[in-house]
Amino acid sequence: MKKFFPIITLSLALVVAACSSSKKLDRSIVPVAGPAPKIQIGQYQMTTLPNGLKLVVVENHKLPRVSYSINLDIDPIYEGNRAGYTMLSGELMKAGTKSRKKSQIDEAVDFMGASLSTSASGVFGSCLVKHSGEFLDLMSDVLLNPTFPSEELEKSRKQQLSNLVNEKTDPNAMSDQIGNVMKYGTNHPYGEVMSESSINAITADDLISYHQDFFRPNVAYLIVVGDITFADAQAQANKYFGSWKQKEVKNFKYVTPQVPAGNVVAFVPLAGAVQSVIDVTYPINLMPGTNDAIVAGVLNNILGGSGFQTRLMQNLREDKAYTYGAYSSISPDEWVGSFSAGASVRNAVTDSAVTEILFEMKRLVDEPVADSTLQTVKNIMTGSFARSLERPQTIANFALNIEKYKLPKDFYETYLQKLNAITVADVQAMAKRVIRPSNAFITVVGNKEVADKLTKFASSSKVSMLNADGTPFVDLKAAPEGVTAQTVLENYIKAIGGKDALAAVKSFEQIGEMKMGPMSAKVNVKMKDNTKLFTSVSMQGMDLMKQVYDGTSGMNMQMGQKKPMTDSEMTDARIQMDLMAEMNYEKYKYTAILKGIGKVDDQEAYVVDVTKSDGSVMSDYYSVATGLKLMSTAMQGEGENAVMTETRIVEYASVNGIKYPSKTKQMAGPQAMEFDFSEMKINPKLNDKDFVIEK
Amino acid sequence: MKPIFGIFTVAAMMCSQAMQAQNLKFEEYDLANGLHVILHEDHSTPITAVTVMYHVGSKNETVGRSGMAHFFEHLLFEGSDNIGRGQYAKFVENAGGALNANTSQDRTFYYELLPSNQLELGLWLESERMMHAKVEMVGIETQREVVKEEKRQRVDNQPYGTLFQETLDHAFDVHPYSWPPIGSMEDLNAAQEADFKNFYKTFYVPNNAVLSIAGDLDIAATKALIARYFAEIPRGSVEVSRPTQVEPLNKGEVRDTIWGKDQLAMVVEAFHIPAQGTPEYYAVDMLNQVLSQGESSRLNKSLVDEKQVALYSGAFTYNTEHPGLTMAYSLANMGVDARQVEEAMNAEFDRMKTEYISDAELQKLRNQVENDFVSRNASVAGIAESLANYHMYFGDANLINTEIEKYNAVTKDDIMNAAKKFYTPQNRVVLYFMNDPKLNQN
Repeated sequence: MKKFFPIITLSLALVVAACSSSKKLDRSIVPVAGPAPKIQIGQYQMTTLPNGLKLVVVENHKLPRVSYSINLDIDPIYEGNRAGYTMLSGELMKAGTKSRKKSQIDEAVDFMGASLSTSASGVFGSCLVKHSGEFLDLMSDVLLNPTFPSEELEKSRKQQLSNLVNEKTDPNAMSDQIGNVMKYGTNHPYGEVMSESSINAITADDLISYHQDFFRPNVAYLIVVGDITFADAQAQANKYFGSWKQKEVKNFKYVTPQVPAGNVVAFVPLAGAVQSVIDVTYPINLMPGTNDAIVAGVLNNILGGSGFQTRLMQNLREDKAYTYGAYSSISPDEWVGSFSAGASVRNAVTDSAVTEILFEMKRLVDEPVADSTLQTVKNIMTGSFARSLERPQTIANFALNIEKYKLPKDFYETYLQKLNAITVADVQAMAKRVIRPSNAFITVVGNKEVADKLTKFASSSKVSMLNADGTPFVDLKAAPEGVTAQTVLENYIKAIGGKDALAAVKSFEQIGEMKMGPMSAKVNVKMKDNTKLFTSVSMQGMDLMKQVYDGTSGMNMQMGQKKPMTDSEMTDARIQMDLMAEMNYEKYKYTAILKGIGKVDDQEAYVVDVTKSDGSVMSDYYSVATGLKLMSTAMQGEGENAVMTETRIVEYASVNGIKYPSKTKQMAGPQAMEFDFSEMKINPKLNDKDFVIEK
Repeated sequence: MKPIFGIFTVAAMMCSQAMQAQNLKFEEYDLANGLHVILHEDHSTPITAVTVMYHVGSKNETVGRSGMAHFFEHLLFEGSDNIGRGQYAKFVENAGGALNANTSQDRTFYYELLPSNQLELGLWLESERMMHAKVEMVGIETQREVVKEEKRQRVDNQPYGTLFQETLDHAFDVHPYSWPPIGSMEDLNAAQEADFKNFYKTFYVPNNAVLSIAGDLDIAATKALIARYFAEIPRGSVEVSRPTQVEPLNKGEVRDTIWGKDQLAMVVEAFHIPAQGTPEYYAVDMLNQVLSQGESSRLNKSLVDEKQVALYSGAFTYNTEHPGLTMAYSLANMGVDARQVEEAMNAEFDRMKTEYISDAELQKLRNQVENDFVSRNASVAGIAESLANYHMYFGDANLINTEIEKYNAVTKDDIMNAAKKFYTPQNRVVLYFMNDPKLNQN
């Protein structure tokens, strides 16, 4: 030990004294900390360009690099039936500009050893300072002049569709999705879901108009961090982003999602899962950059924020060994915040783990935390705050929050004071406000065998079996070897009379009744020469609705209004006239896939998913026993008005050796309609006049 | 792609790349008991990273006892003679610090990130861990279950979660790199208390460790404290065993298909390569950069952008102390045949063998290396770990400043020769991960 003494400096006197006074170190004594170091928060500077772009600069000269970030401050956007277009617009900004192809942009970025990424909310790039001029030239081009080439859109579309497939076996992605769907609802931008049909519906115009409407300097921040002076950053901002044109940007309003009245359990089955991914989650009202948010942060760190000492970690991992890690988050947000607590646990302990998570939540509401617990968490948060300052990006984030949320300029300077002033009573009051063990969505992605054990957590005593996108889960088992979509469809054609009998039908007429609640209407369908179709719905002799298709064009008439049939409506009409349409899907550019064996009530049925040429999907159910079609389900309508429809064939009747659905029941959301076709004439004499379109 | 590989990429990510030599200052010395100490002083933020790297990983395990090194990583948070069960985290977090550890095939790394006035606490905790950690049944049983959950979460329940394990298993016949650090659960179940105690006694000794500290510290004061806490720890009494097996090159192609529930096909090609630090290793690493770094890299440009057969395609050098692997992998787009993907990958490998990279491409590589080199020393924790790595594997911590020269020394010829020598059919493993729809039936 002696050999080190000669180089010991004066400041060491105390340590040295301690060393030499005790011959042998008493290892049971916990070392005492020296005086707390002063935590210095780096500074930022700010200005606004003439076009409204706000420039924030954080100087840090430790390493010769610099980063540039364009952040949009805009309202979230509800994308509806084209969900995914803002994301694609953001991503494809760097897929081509007026003067550069994608390959040239990629090559230029990589040549500098730089990085450049674009998204719906902005552009981020970093490089060595010596490349910054060249880099900004590229970055501003990407920001200001993207062209969204259609071949790049098609490529991304293909990738997104592949991604969707990939996520079907990713329990964490599924958990995130069902959590968002449950807590925000699919009618809120935070809860809407990308689907095959929404991705297929996106056009290049969507991408262009998103960029035109929302990438504007008057709603943007340019954040520069690194080895650069404020003056240089300002000059660069003017040079490369000064020509960016202002435009008024739209604002939006949304209904704020609320917590459920009682606990709701949503189970998403994943075949072969060896763990359950549990999430207890719900929306909260908590604004970022407020004292409340700091108190909520304390609360979260007690429950399951970070580290090994949180209650969830101690209970579920260290005590019970249910999981590798259990965590919670309480996220403030301008629009709607979120609470989440969960873990991945082995199948057998799924319900026990939910019990413990709810127990820890309830305990926070019911019992004040110990002073020592609060102090520990304050220490943890102080330490983590100090460590975060090692990254200059942290100062930039502080600056952005101060500007975006109009916080007092010293909000972060005084953060530690505010943190230290929090009392046990503050924590409990916050717990009562944001911890809702009886108003939560409990989502579990896992092996469906564990679902039944979760009924006890649901206020309704019912577990909703759902797909990750929130649509009802259909329980399927494997179809036997040799059975394919094609064999099922061929069997159906046989079951309803066979090819020859169906081919002999050139015309038909159906007369029946439609009932909706107390209302009743007469329905008349006529088909002539396999080419013309007439449908009418009338009540007391008055036409409510009429549709005529003459073989080349068609017209819809509803309550006196006339509207030409769309291409897809005409395709539907042609399919309706083709009694063997199920065998001719290829002709209509439909694809059919056998999903397996499900059930319609107690009858086993093959489930065939049919994807139409527009990308929409219907699921048809064919009886295993009789081969007959029993039910068809599909999403109807778009975006906020989308509704799941279910059509059941209740009864078939026979005429001329052909079976036709004589009684059907259709449910569209809460509405139910019944059809009863008492009369079916095959090859009747029909009058051509009925199929003339009145202009 | 990081999630697929989980913890095990840590080593690969650290894979060092550099440009013009820089001058990061540090001091290093040995204690009498063989503990190597490295200190780096940086006052920009009042935090200090206290780290200990033990030269033990899964390659030090024996057949039938796989997973021991990683299991120890868990176990050594349980406590010591003077630190009660579960108190490690408590001491560090109460002091405003953070702590964790990770295990690769070659080493185990523990760290505490502390406010700089708590340096001594970190030294106390790490010296306790090295001197007399508690290796007891109660901790063993709890952590056994936790590790099983870790494996379920990171491997069994993850898309393509077995990719890494399958690749190693198919690639190595004689070297213990044939299993991943997490090991087999059967082996963990079979391990007895005595196995754990022996493992601790053999590997967790000062002469098998590097204490690397970086941040807001005073070098002289720190040295005195280190002496106080670590000097009395006895040198290990058991000889540290290292595997001597060498996995040969060119064993003949290994090809297999793994059926699983993930629906898109994944193609993996792994090639045997020399150990990290050898000139050929640097050439392979640069070659991978040509194939895989940035969107203009060849695999991405060809498979993702032009042929559009893959959703993702990349390659990385799995840097290991002993001869190891370089891996390329592609996730096929929906409806694309795995064979088509493999052909497209092979076409890029073949191009590397027949055409020199251009001058512009070589310059791009060097610029990328330079950028990475500048950026990677941004945190004191990262610096402490790099210094420890360089000393442990190469006996030269100063490589943190000079390794870039090894990259700069790589020529176009070296890159082409590496492709010709290693990226060959007889030197590779090709795995297809394919969907078995039966496994998707709920």
